[in-house]
Amino acid sequence: MDGRWSGSLRIGWLASFIFTVIVSFVSAFFPSLASASVFGDTARQMAHKIVAATGPGAIALDIANRSSLDDKSVREIRSALEAELRTEGVRIVKADESMGSVAVTLSESVREYVWSAEIAIGADERKVMLVSAPRPQSGVGPASAMPLVVRKSFLFAHEQPILDAALLEMSGGPRLLMLDAGQVGVFRQQSGRWELETSLPILHLRIFPRDLRGRLLLRRDHLFDVYLPGTFCRSSVTSPLALACSDSDEPWPLTADDGGVRAFFAPARNFFTGAFSPGIGKVSNGPSFYSAAALPRSSYMLWMLAAVDGSIHMLDGMTDQVIRGAKWGSDLATVHSSCGTGTQLLVSENGDPARDRLRAFEIPDRDPIAASTPVEFDGPIIALWAEGSGNGAVAIVRREDTGWYEAYRISIVCGN
Amino acid sequence: MRRIAFLLFAATSLLSVARGETRPRYGGTVRVMLQAAPNTLEMPTNATPTEYWDSAHIVAMIADTLVKTDVAGRAQPALALAWQSDMNGKRWQFTLRHGVKFHDGTVASTATIAQVVGSLHSNWTVRGAGDLLTIECDAPLTSVLAELALPRNAILKRNAGASPVGTGAFRVTDFQPGRSLKLAANEEYWAGRPFADVIEIELGRTLRDQAIALELGKTDLIEALPQPPALNSGPQRIRTSLPVELMALAVPANSRAQDARVREALALAIDRKPIQSVLLKGAGDPTASILPNWMTGYSGVFPVQANIPRAKVILAESRQPALILSYDPRDPQAQLIAERIALNAREAGITLQVSLSGTVDISLIRIVLPSPDPATSLREAARELGLPQPLIHGNSVDDLYPAERALLDAHTVIPLIHLPVASEAGVRVRNWQPGRTGDWSLSDIWLEADSR
Repeated sequence: MDGRWSGSLRIGWLASFIFTVIVSFVSAFFPSLASASVFGDTARQMAHKIVAATGPGAIALDIANRSSLDDKSVREIRSALEAELRTEGVRIVKADESMGSVAVTLSESVREYVWSAEIAIGADERKVMLVSAPRPQSGVGPASAMPLVVRKSFLFAHEQPILDAALLEMSGGPRLLMLDAGQVGVFRQQSGRWELETSLPILHLRIFPRDLRGRLLLRRDHLFDVYLPGTFCRSSVTSPLALACSDSDEPWPLTADDGGVRAFFAPARNFFTGAFSPGIGKVSNGPSFYSAAALPRSSYMLWMLAAVDGSIHMLDGMTDQVIRGAKWGSDLATVHSSCGTGTQLLVSENGDPARDRLRAFEIPDRDPIAASTPVEFDGPIIALWAEGSGNGAVAIVRREDTGWYEAYRISIVCGN
Repeated sequence: MRRIAFLLFAATSLLSVARGETRPRYGGTVRVMLQAAPNTLEMPTNATPTEYWDSAHIVAMIADTLVKTDVAGRAQPALALAWQSDMNGKRWQFTLRHGVKFHDGTVASTATIAQVVGSLHSNWTVRGAGDLLTIECDAPLTSVLAELALPRNAILKRNAGASPVGTGAFRVTDFQPGRSLKLAANEEYWAGRPFADVIEIELGRTLRDQAIALELGKTDLIEALPQPPALNSGPQRIRTSLPVELMALAVPANSRAQDARVREALALAIDRKPIQSVLLKGAGDPTASILPNWMTGYSGVFPVQANIPRAKVILAESRQPALILSYDPRDPQAQLIAERIALNAREAGITLQVSLSGTVDISLIRIVLPSPDPATSLREAARELGLPQPLIHGNSVDDLYPAERALLDAHTVIPLIHLPVASEAGVRVRNWQPGRTGDWSLSDIWLEADSR
């Protein structure tokens, strides 16, 4: 039951724009299409129950909305219900011309819409009829992309925490790999949706820490590696795709390049210990940190570390320069682009759990300069990893309103 | 000049960012205050709502249940990873999580868990073999998952000293019955070690004491009076649950209010809105149903409006004795509410004498609706209210509504207000996210770096 994939109906990254356009078109020109199909059956059931109590004839119908349905939906429900009642031989008339009254209330619980009909015919006792319809999962659709320098593209939503995600081209079309605590899901795009193609369970003996973090890295000689606290998994080279996991305290790569800097991750915590192998230049030990990002310089690499104590460290292979009071978040990632200096630092930055933000910085020398307006998310960013290509990053957000987890691809575009 | 301007801009860019959001930090001691002063670490029977919630918070820290329920009443894995039942629901099989240990270091085997569950339900046959735990009963166990998620079904075994030992995120390091409880992080917790190292709980502290201690920075987490919905959003630190308690009038079997017309007239006479808006300061929802609307969606069909003329018609010219209305003196708002009800009753021609002595005819009570699963909460409410157990076969509105209607038809219970519960965290506490159904999870909170 743990970590089951239930998000196969989420809209894929590549198709999201097209889908949005289609939905907008349908909504604009056929406004009643969607909700009519959702509530048509419920209206039919309600009408049937009402007629079973009233019989055919003239009734006064009143509809009150005490649910989260909008006015348009209520109007459509009224139309559908009146049509169904007419089909069953009931005429809707004014109260003084009716043989009885029916007061319909549109309500809802956390699980479903509930409609009640209170029926009063003459001096008979009031009768209550109820019908229900499932509520859709709310607020898990794609957020609208903002035309800013930092661009976010919705990839996927999932009920369980997503740790990392990656897009890759394969024979038969693009695939989306999604890492959570229990498995790597491989999704294939079909009809504009990511459909689960296969799920590779992660078998581990060690207890994973709270605030679990994980890294999914695409590889050249096999499909991908997975790094989890105290656990390493490697995908098979040949088909059928399989995943072999083992206990491991091997350091995690900090770059997509397999031969680059690696850092040890504390197996029972949520941070890197600060030990590097190989080191950053002559530095093999730094502070414990949550995330790291490398900015290329002409003759060296400048590493930015978001330390556990809230400070930012700049390591150039020789020195460790500490910036205190920066008030940055704990997630950093490097993205290459064709803009500005060609390399930007993405920084999570907000303290409001309901609205987290990502902003791009450039560091021409040692002083970070904001290079973009922030892009906002509807919840805290819980993971930010640079893509293997270096041209983007993946941000995982826990939506404050639904509690679902959303993966976004982050990229930098020039100008507004 | 340009260099200075550049540096100023750079500094501004770096420092103007809002307060930093960081990943959770490990360590520190979270100080908690609770009203109840339990003498044991198990769920009490016949508890007041306050005692129930406080014990539930404690038990949830030291023990796990086989399953949990989300706000929609759906079962989620806990000690059990998966489950299935036979066609008629009389036999349930649970696949248990591997490698879980009790705080005394012993393995939480299926045999041990079966023994614990079996001791809680004498009418169940519970067996453990391998990874599988099997529960059998002669009658269909339609709400067994919701039942197992209740705090009273937490898996607590007794050690040699008869103290309860659980598998939860925190282990007991010191317990002074009725006074204090100290817990330490369980390093081997199956869901990950909690962020805080230690939880220190002071027991038996009034709401006023708690509020003052929080204001003075002497505690981190307290119980609070619920806020009206309009005040329950934004940056404030009080978190209010969905309505999870019912305040109601209950008529015991030996009451002098034997005439059903009196009870119906009383139900019609009570103006619930002023009770909620004035006496309860806007918290809660006036109601005439046992289950709140968020559970069922249909509570609106039970009218809450007072109807004095109709009450007078029902009473007609019958003569009724003066009735004694009692209340729980431990509930600070109960007396005022009882007096308000007596005032309403008088308008309809019913004499209610608010008193804590004499034979009780009507009680103003507050009960917990312990599960987001409506069928389970309705059964629990019936038990608490002394009503016959309702026959419910499922959680559809067609199952629930007739059952609830049947419980209310005799007016031996008159629902008044659905109440939420609330808590408040201090400024150094991060990620305080109590459950919408009143439960607490202290495993996920962590403390600001400079406060440790």
